[in-house]
Amino acid sequence: MDGRKKITSEEIKRLVVERLKTMPSGMRISIGGQGSFSKDELLAKVEEGDSIGQEIIQVELEYLRALKKGEIFNEPGAFSNTA
Amino acid sequence: MSQVLLVTRPNYDAATTYLFHWSKLVLQLAKKKGNQVVDLPASKANKADLLGRLQKINPKFIFLNGHGNDTTVFGQDDEALITTKDTMDSFKNMIIYSRSCSSGKRLGPYSVNKGVKAFIGYTQPFIFIYDPSLATRPLADKTAGLFLDPSNMVVTTLIKGHSPTQADKRSKDAFRKNIQKLLTSETSKENASAVRFLFWDMKHQVCLTV
Repeated sequence: MDGRKKITSEEIKRLVVERLKTMPSGMRISIGGQGSFSKDELLAKVEEGDSIGQEIIQVELEYLRALKKGEIFNEPGAFSNTA
Repeated sequence: MSQVLLVTRPNYDAATTYLFHWSKLVLQLAKKKGNQVVDLPASKANKADLLGRLQKINPKFIFLNGHGNDTTVFGQDDEALITTKDTMDSFKNMIIYSRSCSSGKRLGPYSVNKGVKAFIGYTQPFIFIYDPSLATRPLADKTAGLFLDPSNMVVTTLIKGHSPTQADKRSKDAFRKNIQKLLTSETSKENASAVRFLFWDMKHQVCLTV
């Protein structure tokens, strides 16, 4: 046991919702063939937990993890996903 | 060195309209540099026209814009242009850049296994933010440009004769530059909220080669 409290999926959802709320209302977010969404529509999808909501949660978590690891300010080219 | 570039640009919803207009910038640059550009816009972005042109001109690289999923890239009105059910014989030794969702996940590896020289694409949805008040003038939308400029750089780098790996790297460098600029300077709320999605597109852009 390392004493750290595990974050629940509900807490993650709340975190993502609060972060999404800081987005401007007038813009739309295009998620390819799934459509284009306003901030309020995305908030509803995260709350519902549908596939788009899950995707948005993944976007936020990947970004926050990268910030924590310092990946955002790494040298250019750190993400050369070349196979 | 003059090269032949084939471009598909469907135009039937907000996302494809943005890609349609922003890819025009690349076509203009390619022509200016003396390259031959074969453009399949709107209703011409269909499978029959694509295959017909491929046979006739044998381009060095192909720039696909539009919707997609793990296995398929679509043209006008969601007509499948390339799928993992195709033999890919028409695409052998070509470089493909697919600015569409998720096609780097399965279609990309499949294409390279079937003889495509390189496939640059995205393993997740390609997300961008736009200002609907500028929907009729997409090129004036600077927020969308934060995403579409770096992705255009894949093609502009290829046009200059660089390798697909180099094109992928320069594009990601441009994404990163935009992210860093937004994080370190005074910026509008609209643009600041783009950072998470810019990071997403950069992270999930892949360059697959043999």
